[in-house]
Amino acid sequence: MKFRIPDRYHFLLLKLHSLTGIVPVGLFLVVHLAFNSLRTVGASQYQFGIDIINNIPFLILIEVFGIYVPLLFHSAMGFYLTFLAKPNIKIYRYPRNALYTMQRVTGAIVFVFLVYHVGTTFVPKMFYGKHLFEAAPFLIDIMNQEFETWGGRLIYLIGIFSATFHFANGLWGFCVSWGLIVGRNAQRNAGFAFAFVGLVLTFWGVATVWEFSVNPVSVEPNM
Amino acid sequence: MKPISLKIKRQDGPNGRSYWQTFETPYRPFANVISCLQEIQKSPVTREGKKVPPVVWDCNCLEEVCGSCTMLVNGKVRQACTALIDNLEGPLTLEPMSKFPVVRDLQVDRSRMFENLKKTNSWIDIDGTHDIGEGPAIPDQDRATAYVLSECMTCGCCLEACPQFTLDNSFLGAATFSQVRLFNMHPTGATQKEKRLEAVMKEGGITDCGNAQVCVEVCPKKIPLTDSIAEMSRETSLLSIKKIFNS
Ligand code: SF4
Repeated sequence: MKFRIPDRYHFLLLKLHSLTGIVPVGLFLVVHLAFNSLRTVGASQYQFGIDIINNIPFLILIEVFGIYVPLLFHSAMGFYLTFLAKPNIKIYRYPRNALYTMQRVTGAIVFVFLVYHVGTTFVPKMFYGKHLFEAAPFLIDIMNQEFETWGGRLIYLIGIFSATFHFANGLWGFCVSWGLIVGRNAQRNAGFAFAFVGLVLTFWGVATVWEFSVNPVSVEPNM
Repeated sequence: MKPISLKIKRQDGPNGRSYWQTFETPYRPFANVISCLQEIQKSPVTREGKKVPPVVWDCNCLEEVCGSCTMLVNGKVRQACTALIDNLEGPLTLEPMSKFPVVRDLQVDRSRMFENLKKTNSWIDIDGTHDIGEGPAIPDQDRATAYVLSECMTCGCCLEACPQFTLDNSFLGAATFSQVRLFNMHPTGATQKEKRLEAVMKEGGITDCGNAQVCVEVCPKKIPLTDSIAEMSRETSLLSIKKIFNS
């Protein structure tokens, strides 16, 4: 027997899947890229950004219920839906069908990337103790290591591109599947607008990777 | 001229295994896939000279308005009657649609589409024990939109080409959503608007559309299916929000 979502919850769960991709998960992506890009201005600005986040009250609750739970829900639903579908881009080669396929591929890539990304940042934070990590130099150290090799940089570039693509194309999907943009022209124009959003986000991410890679600043832990 | 060669995917019955056979028929100008099949039917002999049972297919109007000769021509879904040999790249391959159960050879059972229309109340109730009188007048612009939607011939192209529509899931598909839109547009039909919307808010309903938008590319009637889908998405989203506050 295949797993089925009961009819009563089906509509709600699929709408939530679409919604969680924008808020909070997509929103988090934008905030995350924005704060990280502070590194392009300077190490102390970057540290200042991290300090602001670390001083948000109830941070752990926000992280768990505002990011991890919605993200896992969105991923689980995404994988479930992807495995039910039968992509046919090889036969029907239309741009929208290519984007449809890419949306599923990038979703899977982002998931794998996040396992890695959380594994090298959040997990050490739990492991070494929060008080040390909060001092930001530890984080900067970790990130410097990540960007030492071309392998590491490539992992981040692929992860960032997949995430920004998935988000920008997902914005379009959200607007269509909630009925915000209905007509053909409206959908095409929105497609271009969201492509621009995606490019801006990608640029943001790549600029940060660039800064970490060419300009590693070592900061002494102040303990 | 070189003879026309047709590689046909055959299957002896609903549960049979499929196999390929190649036939050849003399070239004729303006031939279409159906006329070639008719030619083969006169003497069903494969290219290797083996006499075989005649190839089974469905067709009716021969002018792309009935939808019954829908099949995969060179791997892509379309009506066989308007598939002109001169416009196609040979050797030709013919296959039954892959998203509907095969009855025999190129003939498939498309009754799922009819069942979907029934599930979604895609008709207008007019019969009663008494005369309910004339319906309200429809503005010309709406009539023009409705006319285009009403051209759907339930051919199944949009479903065959849809990555979300599979042989064993319950997805209603583009044609059904477009029909729901059509009957919801009609002033008399609109009296049952919510009933139809609720029917597309279950598993297999409007949320299961993945916006690959292949349907609108392959629809032979050029029906604006993606407009219909987005319109139904809007209506169901609004209905669900309304229900949060009104139920
Ligand atoms: S909507 Fe178009 S492709 Fe789909 S069944 Fe109707 S006529 Fe065929």
